[in-house]
Amino acid sequence: MVTRKLVFISLLVVALVVMGCTPTTQIVKETVVVEKEKVVKETVVVQSTPQVKEVAKEVVVTATPKPTDAPNSVELNGSGATFPQPLYEDWAFAFNQRDPSVVINYAGGGSGQGIKDIKAGTVDFAGSDALLKDADYQEKPDLQMIPTVAGAVVLAYNIPGVTTTITLDAATIVDIFLGKIEKWNDPRLAALNPEVKFPDLPINVVHRSDGSGTTNIFTLYLSAVSEEWKKGPGAGTAVDWPVDKLGRGQGGKGNPGVAAAIQNTKGAIGYVELAYAKSNNILYAKLINAAGKTVEANIPSTMAAIKDAKFDDRLTAIIVNSKEPDAWPIAGFTYLIVNKDYKDCKKAEKLVSFIKWALTDPAASSRAAKLLYAPLPQEVLPRVVEVLDKITCNGKPVVSQ
Amino acid sequence: MISAQVRRRLRRKTVSPLGRALQHGDILFKGALILASLSLLGLMVGVGVMLWLRSAPMRTSAGLAFITATVWNPVGEKFGAAPFIIGTLTTSLLALIIAFPLGLFIAIFLAELCPPGLRSIVGFLVELLAAIPSVVYGLWGIFVFIPSFVIPIGEALMKSLGDPQRFPYLPIFQGPFFGASKLAAGLILAVMILPTIAAISRDVLLAVPRSQREAALALGSTQWETIWQVVLPYGLSGILGAVILGLGRALGETMAVTMVIGNVAQLSASLLSPGYTMASVIANEWGESRTPLYNAALIEIGLLLFFMSLLLNILARSLVWSVARKTPEQRA
Amino acid sequence: MSEFNGGKELSVLPRAGKLRLKRSAIRERFRRVNNAFMLGLTGLTTVVGIVPLVWILLSVFAHGAEVISIRFLTDTFKPTSLGGGGILHALVGTGILIALASLFSVPLGVLAALYVARNPNTSLGLAVRFGTGVLSGLPSVVVGLFIYTLWVSGHGYSALAGGMALAILMLPVIVRTTEEMLRLVPKSLREASLALGAPEWKTALKVWLPAAMTGVITGLMLAVARVAGETAPLLFTALGSNNLSTALDKPIASLPLTLFKYAVDPSKLRNAQAWAIALIIVMLVLLLNVSARLIATWRSKMY
Repeated sequence: MVTRKLVFISLLVVALVVMGCTPTTQIVKETVVVEKEKVVKETVVVQSTPQVKEVAKEVVVTATPKPTDAPNSVELNGSGATFPQPLYEDWAFAFNQRDPSVVINYAGGGSGQGIKDIKAGTVDFAGSDALLKDADYQEKPDLQMIPTVAGAVVLAYNIPGVTTTITLDAATIVDIFLGKIEKWNDPRLAALNPEVKFPDLPINVVHRSDGSGTTNIFTLYLSAVSEEWKKGPGAGTAVDWPVDKLGRGQGGKGNPGVAAAIQNTKGAIGYVELAYAKSNNILYAKLINAAGKTVEANIPSTMAAIKDAKFDDRLTAIIVNSKEPDAWPIAGFTYLIVNKDYKDCKKAEKLVSFIKWALTDPAASSRAAKLLYAPLPQEVLPRVVEVLDKITCNGKPVVSQ
Repeated sequence: MISAQVRRRLRRKTVSPLGRALQHGDILFKGALILASLSLLGLMVGVGVMLWLRSAPMRTSAGLAFITATVWNPVGEKFGAAPFIIGTLTTSLLALIIAFPLGLFIAIFLAELCPPGLRSIVGFLVELLAAIPSVVYGLWGIFVFIPSFVIPIGEALMKSLGDPQRFPYLPIFQGPFFGASKLAAGLILAVMILPTIAAISRDVLLAVPRSQREAALALGSTQWETIWQVVLPYGLSGILGAVILGLGRALGETMAVTMVIGNVAQLSASLLSPGYTMASVIANEWGESRTPLYNAALIEIGLLLFFMSLLLNILARSLVWSVARKTPEQRA
Repeated sequence: MSEFNGGKELSVLPRAGKLRLKRSAIRERFRRVNNAFMLGLTGLTTVVGIVPLVWILLSVFAHGAEVISIRFLTDTFKPTSLGGGGILHALVGTGILIALASLFSVPLGVLAALYVARNPNTSLGLAVRFGTGVLSGLPSVVVGLFIYTLWVSGHGYSALAGGMALAILMLPVIVRTTEEMLRLVPKSLREASLALGAPEWKTALKVWLPAAMTGVITGLMLAVARVAGETAPLLFTALGSNNLSTALDKPIASLPLTLFKYAVDPSKLRNAQAWAIALIIVMLVLLLNVSARLIATWRSKMY
């Protein structure tokens, strides 16, 4: 009896071990030298799963960033908006290459989390697309917002049978999110997209379940184009979504959560930062902007949106629904929130040099552009650098390179 | 007369200082045991106390209305726990309705019918279901269970029983269905609490004295009649306890539910619409709570969860113990 | 026990009329069919109950085996743009968290179990047995919340806090198993040691406990199997991280947290990695459970 059980179990274990140790992935490597960086294209093809077909596309490999054991290594911790997260992670990697003593960790979590953490002092810097309120400044006057880049918010969708890009305009977007347009085969959508065959499927609207700067940018746009939205749900980092009451709403955590929900739900539409739709191959819509032109979300349209941005004395600006002819209507700046005074001088010095590099160095801007984030307009850069130079450490100004 | 040798030995019998210390070590030892036991109890109490204290801002501002308020608007600082309480109860009850008959029948099979050799293996397999972590259930739920099981069933239900024309007064299967729903959460919870109900019921049934069964069989019952009319009623309180323990487990499940329920804080009569449970909202929105009131609201939800599971646990354990303590002469 | 001669006993009853017997015969047949049907149903239900287990295990092995490789286990986190990396940081993190949790829970649990085994009928002993039952039924979110309010709000997210939360979850299993094993050791063994003059504490630690040691280890294994996959409490305590770190006072990665993050990520690469992590966790849990079972069977054969 015992031997039978032992045999059965040991067979099971052997089977598990064997299954576990046979990888069925093929890795095809192509080395292409581009400028000074070596770009290695790595295509990982995973077989026999219906879910996963092609996995990684482009791999830029030069060196693995390791937290250095050097005695003077500095670790900067940040959290917050997922809107710029792909960019900040990329910048952190690149900066570590230039200065291996600095390791920058950006944990994400949403603008709400970032604001909470920087107010509590548990992080060295925070990312947020949502603007700090007066109450926040009163609670902690030490906070300073620094614009970094502008990005585009797109409407990504998952419509069975639709493999092309559809076009939407302000009125249809508002009505989809108000719940007035209920199915994909609504005549108003067909009117904007005559060649597209929409299925008879209810629209599932995906929004953020956490406090989000991306929501802030999107709802600012909705408020700008619709009085009904402005009086109703309004703008903010979290709003009451009318579709929730109709049973057609869904919440995702962070930009990645919304993107995942869109991918996993047939008939879903939701708002995400452009980088998330692009890198996960989710289709996103073209929009008709305030000037009446059909535009696509890319660097030129984002830069058109930030063309006449007016920064206030807190260095913040709102750029939704720009009247520029080529502007992307749902664009927004994202900010880093830092303290005006730090206790740790080493950290403050490295932080300031990182931000300065990110905003002024052409290498940093080109990395941003590659990920489809638009750099700051030239006019505001001197003001930002001025603010950075004013950051102090225990009262003494931080000396940066 | 005591010889000199014995006198010497007796003298040495007096305890040396080291020996005395070692014996007094017993006091330390017993003290340590009591301390450990007290801290265990203290933990139990401490959890409730800490949650009570830290939820004070919310409790003082809203009082009992927190439990009945249906609006959850963190930005507007309006917190109402009703959607989560109802969501938790809905999914847990759905899970119970499915898991109870299944678990009971599995317990009957294991306790009465299973050949002894197979009993431990099958019992072990059923317990393995309980050993799989909640996140793995959630992962499987999102990518395998929902697409291949929940969606076909949900759509079938929606088209048949959820047709507003044919069954206008049956809202629970109506409405748009997108996969992530209370139905999905209930089904996964059913799989997760099945082993709890089955294992405890099996133990309860095994504790029923043989004399009861033998008496019924002697009177001419079939085996099924014995089980159904004699054994089950005898162990009824224990089985009820098993069910309540299963319910308690379902209430507290976080990860699997969060990953498949849609996370929308909206009251809805339909099982096919997304929902939110107490445990999911705490896990999901913890990082977002910017204000002390938001924090306190989430902690108060945790407090409610604590009380609910505490009550259910106490009730269940006393019921399960009562079966074992019964003598054959007593009946349920 | 289940000897049943299917209604034949009625044939010895005096017949009161053909009609009356016919009704009895129908009822008899119904009872027989009903019996067979219901008993068959229970067997069928058991098979149906095993189906989800097999389904989950098969899915986890099939999907997880595709990404798992030596490189996956020895590489640390990299963003998807750089290939995704591996889970070394999560493996190390889980190891540290489990080690911490065991460190906190084993001494406390063993001491409490010793008390209950020595004094099972005192009010404190009964209270402890009751208390462990209650603790084991606590939702893990609540435990995480508790440690947050107790420790994290003052000292920040850390591996230490994660270890504390997991320790609370491990305690009931350890106390219960240890107590059962201690009770199984024959009283004569303890009495012999006491008769030889050993103080109580020496008896407990050098005679009683070692005799129950395999049981204690089994309990530890089952407790580790329980917490290896716990995610919710770690959300409020260890927080998770992308870095390979061994620091006890900073946030730390762990296998189930990484699984959760990767599962809800839109990237298909991350989803595939999530399956691989699930494979590792499931294999660990299976191994621990099976070994604990085997040890228990082996020991019961010994006595």
